[in-house]
Amino acid sequence: MPEDRDWEAYKVPPTRTPVSETTSSVPNPVVFFQTVFNYVVDAPVTFVREWIERQQAKNKFYYYHQKFRRVPDLSECLEGDYLCFFEAEAQWRRDRMVDQEIVEIIRERLGACKQREGPNQFQNCAKEMEQLAQVTKAYQDRYGDLGVHGNARTCLMKQKHRMMEERKAQANASQ
Amino acid sequence: MAAMSLLLRAAAAWGARRAAGGSRPPWLAGAARLPGTVGRASGAGVRGRAKKRNTLVQFSAPVRHSSSHGKKMFIIKATSFYDTRFLNLLRFYVFLTGIPVALFITYVNIFIGEAELAEIPEGYIPEYWEYYKHPISRWIARYLLDSPEKTYEKEMALIDVEAKKTELRLMELEARRLMRHRGDGPWYHYETPDKNLVDNSMKSTPDN
Repeated sequence: MPEDRDWEAYKVPPTRTPVSETTSSVPNPVVFFQTVFNYVVDAPVTFVREWIERQQAKNKFYYYHQKFRRVPDLSECLEGDYLCFFEAEAQWRRDRMVDQEIVEIIRERLGACKQREGPNQFQNCAKEMEQLAQVTKAYQDRYGDLGVHGNARTCLMKQKHRMMEERKAQANASQ
Repeated sequence: MAAMSLLLRAAAAWGARRAAGGSRPPWLAGAARLPGTVGRASGAGVRGRAKKRNTLVQFSAPVRHSSSHGKKMFIIKATSFYDTRFLNLLRFYVFLTGIPVALFITYVNIFIGEAELAEIPEGYIPEYWEYYKHPISRWIARYLLDSPEKTYEKEMALIDVEAKKTELRLMELEARRLMRHRGDGPWYHYETPDKNLVDNSMKSTPDN
């Protein structure tokens, strides 16, 4: 069964609709539809789901998130040490996947904020927007135009060029 | 001759038209298509007349009226035999293995269920298949595939062997270059004939 989203992650504050006291004698039809839905759809589905969960609870087993050891980076490898290159490359790919997931999470946060705030989003979601802008800029700086054949070596070269540009900009600014 | 046969044919056609439609008054001609109105009388009459003249075969069986469907029509359309046969066969062969697989996967999802995410306990190193959620993925990883550590080590061994090979090849090329250049190594020795076999008589006199 696909897992549900984590409802606690983007907690919506409780609604503050006031309890209304009607003075009419006509019963609220919404209550009728709610009870119909409860008996026809909600109760059977909940019963089936709980029965399934009782079957699955008999033998529980768990899965874990793998933790990888850190290995020397590509910049710490000697020239010609192909094994070091291989391990650094694998580590760089794992780090890139982690960074992609981080950007995705920040994007989801902004989406949740917009959904929560509705028409107030432009004022109240400024922090999330700023965070997303920063994170995507950082991702673009690091992994940006490497292309589909980008590997740890091209990324290192890009970093080297970035540092050279920075140094040149500093030298120009100090003049 | 041709004109005579044409005339005979025209006469036969006129006779047939008269036999088929002549018994009906013209204002009932449309009603003849409805069942039970003018069918039987014209059918019997036409058959009687056809016995007397043998020029044209009359299709004049009485119309059998089924209770509800009306007159049976022979609809002429393109064959759907091959299409239906293909679709039947497709359905059969897809469901032959598809239904057992679907039932098995449903059984696994309901009665065994997916794994729950947990923190790695202290001092416990999970097996490599315990990093997957679905029980079938876990089974495949456990019994069919090699552990990722093993594949990693295999790749590294391959890279190591190839790295050593490149190193040795480069060293051989360097040694060959140096030995050829310096001439003091075991390689690049060429057999030359003995100097005692050289005939110096041509070079001994300067006037040749």
